[in-house]
Amino acid sequence: MANDAKSGKSKVGQFFSGVGYDFKEIGLTFTQGDWKTKVSYLIMGFGPIMRKQFLRGIAFLAIEVLFILYMVGFGWGYLKDIGTLGTVARVMNADGTFSYNDNSFLILLYSLLTIILIFMFLFIWRMNVRENRNEEQLLAAGKSLGTIRGDLHSLLDSHFDKTLLALPVLGVFVFTVLPIIFMIFIAFTDYDANHQPPTNLFGWVGLENFKNLFSFGTTGLGSTFLTVLAWTLIWAFFATFLTYFCGMGVAILINKKGIKFKKLWRTILVMTIAVPQFVSLLYLNKMFANDGLVNTYLMKWGWISNTIPFWSNPILARVMIIVINLWIGIPYTMLITTGLLMNIPEDLYESARIDGATGFQMFRSITLPYMLFVTGPFLLTQFTGNLNNFNVIYLLTQGGPHSMELSNNAGYTDLLVTWLYKMTINDSNYRMTAVLGIMIFVVTAVISLVVYGMLPSVRDEEGFQ
Amino acid sequence: MKKKVLATLLATAMVAGCLVGCGGGSDSGSGSAPATDSGSSADSGSSADSGSAADSGSGSEITDYGSGTITIWVAENTVEFTKSKADEFFAAHPDMAGYSVTVEPVGEGDAAGNMLTDVEGGADIFGFAQDQITRLVSAGALSPIVGDNATFVSTQNDAGAASAALVGDVAYAYPMTSDNGYFLYYDKSVVTDPTSLEKIVADCEAAGKNFYFEINSGWYQTAFFFATGCTLTYDTDSNGNFTGCNVDYASDKGVVAFKEIIELASSSAFQNGSSISAGSNIGAIVDGTWDADAAKDIFGDNYGCAKLPSFTGSDGNSYQLSGFGGFKLLGIKPQVDPGKLAVCHALAQYLTGTEVQLARYQAVSWGPSNLTAQQDSAVQADEALSALAEQLAYTIPQGNYPGEYWDLATALGDDVISGTISTSTSDDDLMSALQKFQDTCMSYAK
Repeated sequence: MANDAKSGKSKVGQFFSGVGYDFKEIGLTFTQGDWKTKVSYLIMGFGPIMRKQFLRGIAFLAIEVLFILYMVGFGWGYLKDIGTLGTVARVMNADGTFSYNDNSFLILLYSLLTIILIFMFLFIWRMNVRENRNEEQLLAAGKSLGTIRGDLHSLLDSHFDKTLLALPVLGVFVFTVLPIIFMIFIAFTDYDANHQPPTNLFGWVGLENFKNLFSFGTTGLGSTFLTVLAWTLIWAFFATFLTYFCGMGVAILINKKGIKFKKLWRTILVMTIAVPQFVSLLYLNKMFANDGLVNTYLMKWGWISNTIPFWSNPILARVMIIVINLWIGIPYTMLITTGLLMNIPEDLYESARIDGATGFQMFRSITLPYMLFVTGPFLLTQFTGNLNNFNVIYLLTQGGPHSMELSNNAGYTDLLVTWLYKMTINDSNYRMTAVLGIMIFVVTAVISLVVYGMLPSVRDEEGFQ
Repeated sequence: MKKKVLATLLATAMVAGCLVGCGGGSDSGSGSAPATDSGSSADSGSSADSGSAADSGSGSEITDYGSGTITIWVAENTVEFTKSKADEFFAAHPDMAGYSVTVEPVGEGDAAGNMLTDVEGGADIFGFAQDQITRLVSAGALSPIVGDNATFVSTQNDAGAASAALVGDVAYAYPMTSDNGYFLYYDKSVVTDPTSLEKIVADCEAAGKNFYFEINSGWYQTAFFFATGCTLTYDTDSNGNFTGCNVDYASDKGVVAFKEIIELASSSAFQNGSSISAGSNIGAIVDGTWDADAAKDIFGDNYGCAKLPSFTGSDGNSYQLSGFGGFKLLGIKPQVDPGKLAVCHALAQYLTGTEVQLARYQAVSWGPSNLTAQQDSAVQADEALSALAEQLAYTIPQGNYPGEYWDLATALGDDVISGTISTSTSDDDLMSALQKFQDTCMSYAK
């Protein structure tokens, strides 16, 4: 750990010395540069154009012109309101029509976009300065500058990575990075059912939403959040490890010598995969309902006098979910582990048998370490996947049963992610769901990082080679 | 198992439909049969030609209405009907024929959710269930109705429907139906006396049949609380904000009602639910007119309808079950062009006028809210409708409730069903549960 902290510090140090060096170089370029370079500080690409590097020069110039047009025509109009997120809401005119004014949603979104574009522009401006310096140094050394043809060719050669990545990076930025940043900022506003643009405005509220999530008074979400979080962790634990060990057990059973009809057993188990979860889970939900098949027949046969509350009793509903998840999860684990189990060198078992090891001892000392080593990363992804396993929970119970003990429509089987979904769709409570989204990220990230460091395959990469 | 992105998406798409704004399971998306409002036996007589009023409500005469497209969202089974009626409207009003109409199928339950997601991209005229009106007004998705148009709303429709279109004292929508309420469907071979809750439950227990009553829905639950005289209403200002809450569940009468719910839930015949098609082994069910056909199929010759039964409370008194009456409305999105606004108002008025409401009843059996249409002989002869009409006399017109209320009512009902609150719970604990419910209800009004 001490090493980590040290290297972390030096990374920060490196960053700042890098920034310092950058500023120094910008200054040096200016003082040492010729007049073309100096003009380039204001008019980007001026130097390269004067040095007959037309493609580069015009590209820089075009970017500057576009940026100024964007800021004047669009960006600044939104960016100037970022502090308030708009002040004038919609107004009704005398003739019953309406005029839409500020729109907090768009102000926040486009302001973020504009801020990011400003940083990108600064970065390109820095490239422009460096380009001038490089050109001057090359000329001073008596070398010739590149040609347009050479520049274009480099896009397919030495800079081919940039050509290939340009589109994906743009897509990731627009569809992933920007929404995530936007969502994080929503957590600091009062954007909810009562503050919906374009009719109403929303504004900044600081850390109020986070305080609300952790306040345990009558109005706070604290106790509900903890209940849901605890169940999310319990669920993820059982859903992952029970399925894993049961699936491995089934695979070992079927793999055993002397078992007949191996293919038949595997086929039967894999059938559950063939039926979409969407169908099988909804069907099970109906089957175990208070008026479902199971209860109806048990009552008909006189085994019970009152219905068994499979879904309406909190404890029973949680147990049911875990058990049903076993049913759909075991076949997957079985399939994955079957092949791996056959891969364990047979001589290990033979020598163990000669030493007189029992079946359980062989499992504990040979099979399990090997399996954990190989499937460790798989287990981790399973665990994080189960933390956010929307399907099983939502199709089986919709998070219910609900209770007066839990606020904001949370139920006893709600995971953080299903709770978030319900709050978004039913209650338009975007401010709290943004906070919840951040919390889900924190929980998933912390668990992933901690467990990843503990994985045998990470700690001891050569363990089984 | 591997997480399946596709399945998640499908699930999301499917459930979103059920969830978006479907407040208290008021079955806003389902078509329904007409209601004869029992209080409207005397026709108001003010049957102005509903299609001809075309002023914008502000009094100024508009000569050039301009042109454009008007988008209408209605339930899927009325798309064709609405399209043909809109065409008839423009044929009768050539001065407005610059507009063309697009009719899209968006259920009354989804319309509110879709409008709220994107007001500017939403339909110009859209049908929605009346419990959504406050949410829509507070999001600015409804244009107020003033002047002659407001008079049309208040004089042409039954009192319940007209008041359902109000937020504060401003009308925001044109009533389209008055048929949202619930009553009792029962199997005549099982239930001998549909007037007593205790007897219905006993009959169902004896026959091994189920009695369905959706006690974890804020819509059906009120049948008990309103029966014992409790109130639960919200005051709204004309912007759709909840300004006050009038609730007295945490009282002796609330406890009587609550005990009756718990008593009912403890029966082996009790099932929580209100959908005939989703139920099984049904002896009796509390449901609405939209399930009339399904009920006929299931009960066959033993099909029976009745108003809700009465029950004997823990205090020895007898109470008649009450509940909500509900309505479907047609709303207009706030417009930026006065010409288009006027056309929208005229068109919406035509689509909710006497003639079209009657035609709609004949086409898809939606019960009219229009007073004249309600007197039609075809509307008046229907078993389920008669039962509903009888029950409507005991109900309270459903006002506007914050979305959180429906969640809270589900939580209260679920506590009973899960046994967290049971027949062995002390009166003090019942009272404190109701007090918590009441306090939370009040916290929604600011």
